[in-house]
Amino acid sequence: MLALKERNNQAFGFLYDHYAGALYSIIKQIIIDNNELASDVLQEVFINIWRKIETYDPSKGRLFTWMLNIARNASIDTLRSKSYQNSQKNQELPDNVYKEAANPFTLPNVDNIGLKKVLETLRPEQRVLVEMAYFKGFTHEEIAEIMAIPLGTVKTRIRNALLLLRQFLK
Amino acid sequence: MNIKEYIESGIIESYVMGLASEPERAEFERLCAQYPELVAARRKFEEKLEAYASENAVPPPPEVKVKVFKAIINMEHSTTSRSSGPLKFLAAAAIVLLVAMGYLYFQTRQENRDLSSANDRLRDKVTETDSILKQIIGEQKAISDSNTLVVNMVGTKSAPKSSANVYWDSASSKVYLVVRNMPELPSDQQYQLWALIDGKPTDLGVFDGRDQKVILQMKGTKKAQAFAITIEKKGGSPSPTLEKMQSLGKTMVTQ
Repeated sequence: MLALKERNNQAFGFLYDHYAGALYSIIKQIIIDNNELASDVLQEVFINIWRKIETYDPSKGRLFTWMLNIARNASIDTLRSKSYQNSQKNQELPDNVYKEAANPFTLPNVDNIGLKKVLETLRPEQRVLVEMAYFKGFTHEEIAEIMAIPLGTVKTRIRNALLLLRQFLK
Repeated sequence: MNIKEYIESGIIESYVMGLASEPERAEFERLCAQYPELVAARRKFEEKLEAYASENAVPPPPEVKVKVFKAIINMEHSTTSRSSGPLKFLAAAAIVLLVAMGYLYFQTRQENRDLSSANDRLRDKVTETDSILKQIIGEQKAISDSNTLVVNMVGTKSAPKSSANVYWDSASSKVYLVVRNMPELPSDQQYQLWALIDGKPTDLGVFDGRDQKVILQMKGTKKAQAFAITIEKKGGSPSPTLEKMQSLGKTMVTQ
């Protein structure tokens, strides 16, 4: 860890080899069907990890957790960026996030990998909330508004879903 | 706070996965500092999540690693070069240059001052020498002039070795004296030249014994039957002390 904070290239190489696959997986779960863009995000994520490594606080969690959140945030930012939205529009894909989120029973049928596979074990009403919150980056308030359900319900459902998720991981 | 209930509330998963709100995160972090079992539970979930993510890893395209390392190396270069490398060197070089220039400036100024004062001294010297030369040339001309009368002053009985020449240009009334051999006098005494006009001595100025072989311009006189040199007090006397007459020379002209 010290070597990383001192920006040791060799240590960083090890970090990349060890975690790039796991992070690429989460990026691909958020940026679906666009491997090129997902690769770009992964590159950006590792550069950010390198730049921000001294801000990592071990008392707040494991290094992987920290990196996973950087990857998730970068992916969601990309997903929400104007250029990405435009490219989606150009492809005339009808399933924008609002529409798909509005109907929990028509979730996009992608090759579910990683955590998304875990989502399949959840009940649909929980699944859509986790999908929106974790993979699309909506806040609980936004979800409550989009889904027209009370904020408290959103919170409870997500928490319960996450607890189930934990059990699955065990 | 029932920590067990809190642990089972789903907050750990929410926090670790980045879904907790800012107040929830703050509360969670505060409680982590308080309850080691909460930290242990968080850790456990993190490990599970990490293990699961690693199991489900998707190998990224190999060129991503190359791009990442290229970018990092560039970043290192740009940060080191921008913050320290050439800039630091430039700053140091600038300071050295400034100091050197300052030193050179003062040294040059000092040298310039020295040179200019040396130059001034030299010019003064040249001016002085020049005027002396002009004077000598003038005197030489006067002496060698056909109108100039050379009066050989011979020693008297009291100073047989004393000798001097008086050059008298009666046309211009100029009188020059060249000391041949006049003993040096005590510092309170000087030699005085007189012109004897109709038996009356007229003061023509004083000189020192050490002014040997230098042409001295004395006071001029229109007439003179003879010239005489006496020893007088420093600065000369209004009338000669004849018993101290050192030499005498008669003009060959009219008498």
